[in-house]
This record gives sequence, C-alpha cells and structure tokens, in this order.
Amino acid sequence: MAKITYVEFNGREHVLQVASGVSVMQGAVENNVLGILAECGGSCSCATCHVYVDEAWIDRVGPRSPGEESMLDAVCELQPNSRLSCQITVSEELDGLIVRMPAKQV
Amino acid sequence: MNSESAVYWDPYRPELWMNPHPVFRRLREEAPLYYNEQHDFYAVSRFSDVERGFMNKETFSSSRGDILEYIKADMDIPKGMFIWEDPPFHTVHRAVLTRVFTPKRMNDLESEIRAFCVRCLDPLVGAGRFDFITDFGAQMPMRVIGMLLGIPEEDQEAIRDRVDASLRTEAGKPLEVSQASYQGHGFEEYIEWRTHHPSDDLMTELLQAEFVDETGTKRKLTREEILIFINVLAGAANETTTRLIGWSGKVLGDHPEQRAELVQNPALIPNAIEELLRYEPPGPAVARYVLKDVELHGRVVPAGSAMLLLVASANRDERRYPDADRFDVHRLGPPHITFGRGIHACLGSALARVEGRVALDELLKRFPTWTVDLDNAKLSSTSTVRGWDNLPAFTPTAGSKATSSAGARAVLREAAADAAQQPLSSTPPAGESWELTLSTPAGPQSMTARIVRNGTAFTGSMSSAEMGTRDISGKISGSTLTWTLNLTKPVSIKLSFEANADGEQMSGSVKLGMFGRAALSGRRTP
Repeated sequence: MAKITYVEFNGREHVLQVASGVSVMQGAVENNVLGILAECGGSCSCATCHVYVDEAWIDRVGPRSPGEESMLDAVCELQPNSRLSCQITVSEELDGLIVRMPAKQV
Repeated sequence: MNSESAVYWDPYRPELWMNPHPVFRRLREEAPLYYNEQHDFYAVSRFSDVERGFMNKETFSSSRGDILEYIKADMDIPKGMFIWEDPPFHTVHRAVLTRVFTPKRMNDLESEIRAFCVRCLDPLVGAGRFDFITDFGAQMPMRVIGMLLGIPEEDQEAIRDRVDASLRTEAGKPLEVSQASYQGHGFEEYIEWRTHHPSDDLMTELLQAEFVDETGTKRKLTREEILIFINVLAGAANETTTRLIGWSGKVLGDHPEQRAELVQNPALIPNAIEELLRYEPPGPAVARYVLKDVELHGRVVPAGSAMLLLVASANRDERRYPDADRFDVHRLGPPHITFGRGIHACLGSALARVEGRVALDELLKRFPTWTVDLDNAKLSSTSTVRGWDNLPAFTPTAGSKATSSAGARAVLREAAADAAQQPLSSTPPAGESWELTLSTPAGPQSMTARIVRNGTAFTGSMSSAEMGTRDISGKISGSTLTWTLNLTKPVSIKLSFEANADGEQMSGSVKLGMFGRAALSGRRTP
C-alpha cells in the first residue's frame, strides 16, 4: 500500500491509497483520475499514460525499462522526469509519491 | 429468452442500427450476457464486461478475426494480419508499427492533414450544399493514409473503394466472407516500385525495418507480410475515420448550441472529438473467439463461441458515465472505450484524433452552421463499422463567418466596379455560347462566356452585368478548358478558371486569387 498524489494538469489533486503490486497507471484509471488514457492497458505500447514524476522522487521510482525508453520518444512534451506510469509498480517504498499529468496525452 | 417482451438484437437489421441505444440499454439491464439464437453469438453490453473482454485475451481470442462472420467462417488468417493474431505473432508484428503511430508522430502530421482538409473544403464554400461523406469524409482520411503509405494520389480512390466494398453487408444479412478481402492485390506494384525508389514514408520504413520474429530470428518483413500490413492499415484508416467525420456532422447538426460554442472557442474541439467518439463510435461492436469456457452473469459461455463486445453500449453505461445519453462537449470524466483496450487497442487512435480535430476545426471555420438533409441521408449497412454513406447538408450561401469569404465579397464588389471602367472588347459572333454560374461566398454570380476554339487553345470573352465584357483566352486539354482573368483593383487578383465542357454541360471551379475557390457550372446556349 502506498499513498500516491496524482495532480491533474489544472492543479486538482487526488490523494489515493494504492495497493502494492499494481502500476501507478492502474491506480489512476481505477480511481477515475483524469489525464491518463492508457488504452493499451499497461503493455507499454500506446504512450498515453505519460506522467511527470516529482523531482524528489525521480531517483526513487527506479529506472526506465528498455522498452519504455523507446516509447517515451512517442509522448508529447517529453521532459527529463517523464515516465510511462504503467511501468512504475507501486510498493511501500513509494509511499508519498507525487506524479503530475501532462497537458495532453495525444 | 423466448417471451414476447424479451429483448432482441442483431447487428444486421437497418432499423436497429439507426438508433441502437434504447435496445442497448435494455441489454445492459435485462440481458447483460445476451445470446442470439438465430445467428448463434453472445454479446456483452456493460462497460465493465466489455473492458474485461478486451483485457482477457487468454479467453477472448483475436485469432479467428474480430468480425463476427469471419469468426464463424473459421478462415485461414494470413500471417502478418496482426489485428487477427494472438501473442506471440501479434506481439512481434504489432511492435514493428507501434513506433510509427505514436502521439508525437501523428501530431507532427498536423499541418499536412490541415492542408488536405483545406483542399477538400475550400471548393465547397458558398455552394449552399455539400455532403459530409462524399465531399469530405470519404476524401480526407484516404489522402492522409495514402500520403503516409506513399500510395500515388491517383490510385488512392480505387484502393479505398475496394476495401470499403469488402466490408459492406446487404441490409439484414451477414457480411460475405472472402479470403481475398485483405490480400493485397493491387498493392504489389507499389511495393515493387517503392523498393527501387525509397522515400520518406511508411512503406519504405516497412521495407527496411528489422525485427525479431516469434522464433527469435532477426529479419526483415516478407513481401507478403508487408502487403498484409498495408492492406489492414489502408482499410482501417479510411472507413473508420470517415465515419467519425460523418458523426461530427450529424451530432453537431443535432446540437447547434454546442456547435456554436465550438465556433466561439475552438479550444473545446479536442474534448468534443472525445465526446463524439464516445457518443457514436465508428466501430460499435467488436467480436472475439471464445477459447475456453467462461462464466458471465451466472451462465457459462462455451469454448468455441463467438462473443461480441458492444463498445457503443459500454460507452453509454450509466454505471460509468453520469447522464450517459446526453451529448456534452464539456463532459469531463473517465475515457471512452471506442478504441478498445489492451494489446489490440487501436493502433491508429492518435492519427484518428488528430484527423478528427483538424477536420472539425477547418469545417467550423468555413461552415459555422449547417442543416442536415436527413431525407437524403443514408446510413451505412455494415456489420462492423456504423456511420453514414451520404450525409448531405444545407449551408449558408452568404454571411458566413470565415474571413476568406468576407474578403472574397469585398474583392468581387470592387473588381466588378473596376472592370466596368475597362474598354469594351470587340467580340466576334462565332463560337460557343455558355451561361455560367459561379457559387461564390458572395452568392451565385451569373456570367456568360463565348468560346472560339482553335485546336488546343481558345479565345473569347466573358460578360456580366457588373463587369461588362472582358476578353479571355486559354488552353484546351481534352474536354478541359483553363483560362485566367486578371483584375487590378482594389488589389491585384487573378481569377483562374478550370472547366470541363461535356457537350451541353460545363462544370469546374474558379480560384479567387488567395480567397479560396468557387464552384462553376455552365449550360450551353444556342
């Protein structure tokens, strides 16, 4: 279990308890957090679950996976702290994580 | 299931396709797992069941196709037809294309897509009437995918018509299954030519792409695999996007106050496209083959069954969408499931979104209002893609908001006054006489023309009440005449005419300098 804060592009915050083992993306879509599409359902092939990981957490969520690196080239407005949220697995270590939604996914 | 009031649905009846939503609501309430005895298929209609159907690829397989009739026909699926493959074949084939159809790359195409829309729409301004499908929806998506694939423009229409024909159903009847539907006949010569003339397009990329196949071997795609890829893309990219443009015309025509909001605030357009996709999805039902027994709503669906995932119903499920049957361009809420979910989620969804947005943007700039001519509209009869074959609409002939038409009116007024100052030309009485009508933004303009042919050239004159008579001369190629008329006040503007003279009738267009185009029609007079 971890407390994760999702910040919509307009600034609205959702503070959620997300179960360990699911992805940050699933935490968002299962709780109707707006700003993530994730049409491929987490198979790292649509690049529409893009989030910006808070600076304080970017080194704590683990590295990008090889498949994720090439798919990240596909997002609009790539930043150094960009991640595909379907590739970040929730665990107790991520308690307090903050992620921000981009202006658009597509 | 046999009582008189039991709900009935099948994907073939035109009356059910016209407005299926009340029946879908009954399915969601009364038969969330529905079995149709006549055609032997199951269907789920609630959002959660449809979503699970997409995600549970181990039970609901794509390996027999995603079209009901194909599943029941047990066709041989050619390798490379990734839309109809399961992992591991699907995984490696789709991965070749994934990096092409991404949000970033599709957004990068925006200016080219806009150019295609402008070419389709400009000639329609001021005509008083156009068809959302035949004049726009059937043209623009074809040109975009043709551009992506490097298919020469003159061949794009033939390819589109061939694929569309393979998806038609006769009203009330299942789709006729043909093994040749997606077998690339007609594409082979392009691929051969493109092999020797590589360019900056998708076909070249496919010819050169290296990938690791299901045996772990690194290789290029076979010629057959490329043909199949291209056939799938060409088919998918045309029909569905055309339907989206048609529904934009119909639904916004039904909601004029929201259409006016989009005209005032084009920043709403992306969300409007999402709501249009939710409200009337171009692919309302997707089929799967059931690989193993599965229990749904207290009943076992046996292995070997065909299962329809009713996307159009899922999108109206009030368990997920408050007031789901209300169309609202401001709707914020959980995303629709129009593009599916999971490993087979629509590869072209980013392209569809960009095309939809740009098409609507350019449409509203030229036609802030329209009235659908429903008496002459025709709904498409296919079991897989739902939308309009014809959607004619009446449009204003004057007073539209676009700055181009306001400019055109001013120029034409001033030019007519200027032309009246020019000396009269001496017009020989010989030659052909024509009565012409120009459908300009300032309204229909009547003119007469006299044409004296001389091989591949002609001379003559044009006259109207406003401008008097002006000499013209031009070229003849086959049955097409081209000529220009230069006006000098208030700005230098060149009218460029292109007309096809076919015996007693003439049709064509005139470019009004940089102020767009007007349609031209003509009638031979004695």
